[in-house]
Amino acid sequence: MAFSSIDDLERQLLETGYLPDRGLATALFLSVRLDKPLLLEGEPGVGKTEAAKAIARVLGARVIRLQCYEGLDVQHAVYEWNYSRQLLHIRAAQEGQVDEQELFGPEFLIRRPLLEALESEEPVVLLIDEIDRADDEFEAFLLEILSDFTITIPEIGTIHAKRKPTVILTSNRTRELHDALKRRCMFHWIGHPGLEREIEIVKLRVPGVPERLAEQVATFVSRLRDIDLAKPPGVAETIDWASALVELGKDELDPETVEATLGSLLKYHEDFENVKKSALADLVMDVVKSGLQT
Amino acid sequence: MAADALVRHVVAFGRVLRAAGLDVGPGRVAEALSGLDNVRIGVKDDVYWALRLTLVSKAEDIELFDRAFDAWFLRVRRDELPRRDEVVAKAVPDAQPGPREIDPDAEAGEGEETPGWTTSESLHTKDFASMTPQELAELKRLMKDLAARRPLRRSRRLRRHHRGDILDMRRLVRASLATGGDPLDRTFRKKMLVPRRLVVICDVSGSMEAYARALLLFVHAAVGTGKGVEAFVFGTRLTRLTPELKSKDAEEAFDAASARVVDWSGGTRIGASLKAYNDGWGRRALTRGAVVIVVSDGWERENAELVGSEMRRLQRQAYATVWVNPLKGSPEYQPLAGGMRAALPYIDRFLPGHNLAALEELATVLEGIERRHAA
Repeated sequence: MAFSSIDDLERQLLETGYLPDRGLATALFLSVRLDKPLLLEGEPGVGKTEAAKAIARVLGARVIRLQCYEGLDVQHAVYEWNYSRQLLHIRAAQEGQVDEQELFGPEFLIRRPLLEALESEEPVVLLIDEIDRADDEFEAFLLEILSDFTITIPEIGTIHAKRKPTVILTSNRTRELHDALKRRCMFHWIGHPGLEREIEIVKLRVPGVPERLAEQVATFVSRLRDIDLAKPPGVAETIDWASALVELGKDELDPETVEATLGSLLKYHEDFENVKKSALADLVMDVVKSGLQT
Repeated sequence: MAADALVRHVVAFGRVLRAAGLDVGPGRVAEALSGLDNVRIGVKDDVYWALRLTLVSKAEDIELFDRAFDAWFLRVRRDELPRRDEVVAKAVPDAQPGPREIDPDAEAGEGEETPGWTTSESLHTKDFASMTPQELAELKRLMKDLAARRPLRRSRRLRRHHRGDILDMRRLVRASLATGGDPLDRTFRKKMLVPRRLVVICDVSGSMEAYARALLLFVHAAVGTGKGVEAFVFGTRLTRLTPELKSKDAEEAFDAASARVVDWSGGTRIGASLKAYNDGWGRRALTRGAVVIVVSDGWERENAELVGSEMRRLQRQAYATVWVNPLKGSPEYQPLAGGMRAALPYIDRFLPGHNLAALEELATVLEGIERRHAA
């Protein structure tokens, strides 16, 4: 085991540049310990996918990612036959007899993420991203794989996992997932981080960020989340924005810079207008001043 | 704590959660116990997280879990622990039972000759608001055929099809074995059409009640045609009706929902309700790729501007937007009401829907609807 306790895991995650809250650290810890898939839900941009990558770094495992979308099917998720190679192979054999079993053997197989994760000899973290976007049918299929970690290919037979991958699923909750799938998983909801933790995250992820800037950035973003926005900025946006400001050589917020760089925080035009209307300059000055008093 | 006592304690806690409405079976309790095996059970945080991670499976249930946890492990008085239906009920003011127009006995007589019976011919053009209970019952039957007509989208799934346009390579390779690699025997597959998601957001406030009732029959029938139909109703508040429509009779679902969302004194808050939809559901991409139908007379008293801006958000994400306004059935109607006027620029199709003929028009439009606005 790569870590001995939740505290130990927390410390190691931190070393890889990921700052989890206690709940998430416990979730990852138990998911690995109990060998159980972990379902992470939360608003876009709170770091669901990052969490999977971070635990992979701690485990020294490779991330194999399956991005889900509507219409995702077995050919793109599990395997597909390499038809052109098969045809060439028949051609090359000319008059010689080609054995059908050989033609539908492992060397003509194109491995997609799920099969790749099952066949891997090395430790892997299987990240099934945005499972809520896939169709119901695919979810049912996935359930089968997650219960016994086997895949059946009619021409080859049943393939058993060489070693069970660590499985992390993420969902933006566009729809409710099947209870059966949820029953297979541990569930954790990731919310926006508190102010203190967001400051820590910015300092961790943006090298060379001045202390005061990190505080102001996090404070400003948390104020933005209080305004009614179509898409409140997530931690990912906070990090992007802080990086942009560091790149511009700023060590403090000022209204002009904020207005010019607001695009890395707000992704909708309406939100942009909304924030400008709600006296952007005042908000910035307010944040700057509140920082000075502390 | 001795191991035995702990097991009993957690099992009992599981029962408390189940009583509060969480989906906690024996499997989950076993998970919780093995979770606890791996953390320090003397540390409150560890116990809390191990139990929450294994016993809760929905974000909505977290609050309830937290309260139960406090009550059970931190010795808050247990009678303060709410049941789930009480949590819901608390959010609902005591709605007076509205004038129930449909006599339950009348439904039993569906299809029989009764006084006031009209042929389906005149039923066609009769305004929903002036229909008798018997006529509404007949309407329910007619709706079924109508609702089966859904907008379609091309699925990514392939089916074998004699006029398909995608080669079935797996079959072809196999067949080529017999011909030395010459692909002579070709079969084709085709992307099939599947129903496009339909989201219906229906105004059930006073002025709309008669129409909303009829339209929800339509939606109920549509939900019955398969997956991908979502229904919401609003008055002063918005609520999701899909689960109720699946499990209950349309009438029952309607009455329960309108009791929840209509403040008899409060009027209609269209803008705020659309916003609640966009924030709570649209953001989770429910709108994406869907045909969204808003059913309302457009009488917004508070904030017409909000109706416009929320419709813009909606249109930007939806495949197409349809507004059904029963008032449009009257030839003199002009969309001058503030909310309606603000919404118009963001509507792809504007239809009446005040009688069955108008609903047929709606079904026809839905079948052939295409994306009109730029993405």
